[in-house]
Amino acid sequence: MAEKRQEKSLIRNNRRLQGDYCQVDLESPGIAPLVAPGQFVHVKMPNLEHRILRRPFSVYDTDPKDGRLSIVYKVIGLGTAHLATLKPGTELDLLGPLGVGFTPPRPEQTPIVVAGGYGCAATYLLARQSPVPAYCLLGGRSADDLLLVEEFKQLDAQVELATDDGSRGRRGLVTELLEELLARGDLRNPQIYACGPVGMLKAVGRIAHQSGLVAEISLDHAMCCGVGACFACVVKVKADTPAGWDYARTCVEGPVFRSDQAVWE
Amino acid sequence: MADLRVELGPLSLRNPVIAASGTFGYGREYRDLVALDSLGGIVVKGVSPFSSPGNPPPRTAEVEAGMLNAIGLQNPGIDKFVADPEYLPWLRTVNTAVIVNIWGRTVEDYVLVAERLEAEKSGIAALEINISCPNIKEGGIGFGTDLGMVEQVVGRVRRATTLPLITKLSPNVSRIADFARCAVDAGSDILSLINTLPAMAIDVESRKPRLANVTGGLSGPAIKPVAVKLVYEAAQAVEAPIIGMGGIVSAEDAAEFILAGASAVGVGTAIFADPQCLSRIVEGLDLYCRRQGVDALAELVGAVKF
Ligand SMILES: Cc1cc2nc3c(=O)[nH]c(=O)nc-3n(C[C@H](O)[C@H](O)[C@H](O)COP(=O)(O)OP(=O)(O)OC[C@H]3O[C@@H](n4cnc5c(N)ncnc54)[C@H](O)[C@@H]3O)c2cc1C
Ligand SMILES: Cc1cc2nc3c(=O)[nH]c(=O)nc-3n(C[C@H](O)[C@H](O)[C@H](O)COP(=O)(O)O)c2cc1C
Ligand code: FES
Repeated sequence: MAEKRQEKSLIRNNRRLQGDYCQVDLESPGIAPLVAPGQFVHVKMPNLEHRILRRPFSVYDTDPKDGRLSIVYKVIGLGTAHLATLKPGTELDLLGPLGVGFTPPRPEQTPIVVAGGYGCAATYLLARQSPVPAYCLLGGRSADDLLLVEEFKQLDAQVELATDDGSRGRRGLVTELLEELLARGDLRNPQIYACGPVGMLKAVGRIAHQSGLVAEISLDHAMCCGVGACFACVVKVKADTPAGWDYARTCVEGPVFRSDQAVWE
Repeated sequence: MADLRVELGPLSLRNPVIAASGTFGYGREYRDLVALDSLGGIVVKGVSPFSSPGNPPPRTAEVEAGMLNAIGLQNPGIDKFVADPEYLPWLRTVNTAVIVNIWGRTVEDYVLVAERLEAEKSGIAALEINISCPNIKEGGIGFGTDLGMVEQVVGRVRRATTLPLITKLSPNVSRIADFARCAVDAGSDILSLINTLPAMAIDVESRKPRLANVTGGLSGPAIKPVAVKLVYEAAQAVEAPIIGMGGIVSAEDAAEFILAGASAVGVGTAIFADPQCLSRIVEGLDLYCRRQGVDALAELVGAVKF
């Protein structure tokens, strides 16, 4: 397994993007160059000692030369609300890079990214580093939930949008965009990568299987150690056991799993 | 530099700081992050005769100054633990005391694991009998809160192994002294305490328990004062050395257990927050000895003043 490090990194910039979403840029010269798309960092919240666990976040983007590592996070609870108050110059303790990320697309493949919510951040680096332009299908409840649209557009990518309420892009589900794209039948070796709410990931898996494909899906699960030591973060996956399944650790066997491995409950 | 070496009866450690069972995996998981040769020892996750999938998720919940867990002792089973290069064969290559935590559903299960490890004992510094896990229905805490069972499990494992034997006591008893004496009389060389405290948390919006298992074990800073008291009482009751744990985050926390009567300390939950805390505690204990004007940490064991 790839090397992981613990690093004290300084906040360079921490700002609200839109709605409840924020972006923090960190100076992390030790970890940034090691990050592969889909991997995450485990973040200790400073001055929140009575909340003892780290918080896992996908790496949104890196600049290895500059040592920059960026995270896009949604304020949903105590830790992320606290993170949003931190000023440039504050030190954050990171563990990373952690987990198994996405398999990089090969030049003869057509990558299709399907993302909802913070999934846009979790898949951006994959789209940016892809050797061939990716189709990027981004979805959310309303226009406010579509993340990083301009950043995706600046890549040499085909970006399509869907919102539940039709406030931006197609009215409907992002998975409908995926079904239509696959129905065209003219994509060379499509390879699907997805990160978002569980319902979306389930649908992506089903649609992929109907087309004879296997998607790579990134799951999120509450974690403690982040390095495979505590067995807190398990999900059911198909396995060669009497029951036909086993528990896999999201932090080391994932967070990216093959859609044909998933056992949905 | 103060002398931090520790003699726990038949078990010698370079310093008193031990990574606690279930929080440090099988050691390998932390090899990039923690200098294993800076630790007194590591206790691996509980091993049983059979592989066990553990409890359904969610298995953990963060609470004020601590966490609940109901992992359910997921483990690869003794056969794989002994043979797979990732487990015991790898542990034989590390330069720290390796303590193997064992558990089972029946007394025979404990004996079976102890016998297998006796046959494979090179590289194993000691066995720790877990009779105090709150998260499994049989064995675990059911054994640890019944004096007759403690005597049987410890006695039978004692006869199955020549390795130094540690018994991990449950905090969930009304008189810890009785259990401490019982385990030592049955042949335990060392006692370790405390395991997690049975606990529960409810999400008030969904009105559901936060653990799929409903209840789990509380660990972290929230349990420290409870643990210090139990270590103090156990130390009053027996001569055998004690490994104290429960909520240790800093060297000062560790010192508190040592003053209460522990000769060494276990650190668990704090590792999740900061893997570096282990070596920081070692360094901090050295400073603490110097502040107290003692040459050896051993002088401070049980040295609480009244
Ligand atoms: C591999 C991975 C990648 C992630 N990437 C991102 C990302 O790029 N952007 C983003 O906004 N969020 C991401 N998340 C989710 C993020 O970890 C949670 O939103 C965050 O932990 C919430 O912390 P809190 O203190 O605000 O919430 P609280 O509800 O106060 O947290 C309480 C506890 O539950 C845990 N927890 C709560 N929700 C989640 C969740 N959805 N996933 C995991 N743990 C949770 C917390 O870590 C904490 O231990 C990711 C999760 C995983 C597992
Ligand atoms: C996630 C988790 C898993 C644990 N697994 C085990 C185990 O397998 N065997 C055992 O004897 N104790 C286990 N424990 C208990 C710890 O070893 C320790 O006794 C307890 O957590 C108190 O110390 P702490 O507050 O420093 O964590 C576990 C604790 C946690 C938090
Ligand atoms: S978080 Fe500890 S094993 Fe995954």
